[in-house]
Amino acid sequence: EYHYAGSQDYYRSFVEGRAIWQEHELSTRDLANSLCEQLRLILEPTLATKMRGDFRTGKRLNMKRIIPYIASQFKKDKIWMRRTKPSKRQYQIMIAMDDSKSMAESESVRLAFETLSLVSKALTQLEAGSIAIASFGENFRLVHPFHQTFTFEAGVKVCQQFGFSQVRTNVKDLVRQSIIIFESAKNLPGSNASLETWQLQIIISDGICEDHSTLQQLVRQAAGQKIMMIFVIVDALGDRLKKDSIMDMNSVQYTTTNDGQMKLEMTRYLDTFPFQYFVVVRDVIDLPGVLSSALRQWFAEISQH
Amino acid sequence: MAQVQVKFTTRHADLKVDQVPILVPLELKRYGLSEVVNHLLASETPIPFEFLIDGELLKMSLANYLTAKGLSTESVISLEYVKSIIPPLFHSSY
Ligand SMILES: [Mg+2]
Repeated sequence: EYHYAGSQDYYRSFVEGRAIWQEHELSTRDLANSLCEQLRLILEPTLATKMRGDFRTGKRLNMKRIIPYIASQFKKDKIWMRRTKPSKRQYQIMIAMDDSKSMAESESVRLAFETLSLVSKALTQLEAGSIAIASFGENFRLVHPFHQTFTFEAGVKVCQQFGFSQVRTNVKDLVRQSIIIFESAKNLPGSNASLETWQLQIIISDGICEDHSTLQQLVRQAAGQKIMMIFVIVDALGDRLKKDSIMDMNSVQYTTTNDGQMKLEMTRYLDTFPFQYFVVVRDVIDLPGVLSSALRQWFAEISQH
Repeated sequence: MAQVQVKFTTRHADLKVDQVPILVPLELKRYGLSEVVNHLLASETPIPFEFLIDGELLKMSLANYLTAKGLSTESVISLEYVKSIIPPLFHSSY
């Protein structure tokens, strides 16, 4: 059972939440339309049909089946291929936004809310499935569950629940909990069992997270369960002040050498970033482009399997 | 290994390093931080440094400092480094 918001989890009044949501929904309206159109092209199954085996009758012989067919004294007779239509898909998309204190810089908060409203708006418009929204930091919380419609009021309520004051950024917990929620969402009432369900998570954060190696294993585990994770790093300070960009950040580690000495190593932080699909966004204008190219890359990769 | 973002500043004009935050292990103390600054300076012979946070000399690990001050790893710690005036021999004993 997940922790749903109680009144103590609201950091802003309804009026304040509404003002924020309204402002960002308005300022990102055109971008949301453009992202929606790009996603439509990517997420909708291609119309081109493929020849597939194995049938007793069909259009074209499947050459791989001929020798087994003869060897089996013509018993293994599913040797024909037919044109099959791609199956329709439904999507379950969870947007998880970082509620930790490191996000509290005003420019980051703005960019994070803009990203949230842009992405959720585009996905709602797309009508390809259901949306959930989560917050993470010290604690993970589902602030909008899959089974509810994401309306304007739901957006306001989500806004009220972000205070950017959590004193830890536990990304491992986020990934673990998300896997559990996605797993149980497969059997949600209202989801169409005849459709193929694809699950996607979009994480919005400043990208500062620790224990990259454990995280990498968790992300792999999610991928194994066909949950795709895209990490959107909001790098608000990077552009405006030309400093403190996550792109330039380094990380210090110690490795033990053969003679037992501890050796200092400095690596570029993003070089060990545990999420395979991540994008760095400095301005919300860039978001539709980078997000859709990450998705396109992912689709290209899974269609090869 | 838990880490925290730090930024190194100094008044020694000839020993300045880049201002971009670096993630360092929380358990680092003066010696480890000194090693990081020397790494950034690419100095041939290591220079021993002392560290100040808000004008106060750091005498414990960053983890203990944050706990003592009730701070979290969510903010960037600004560390000012000064050349150590304590003889190196004394340093090796702690
Ligand atoms: Mg944080």
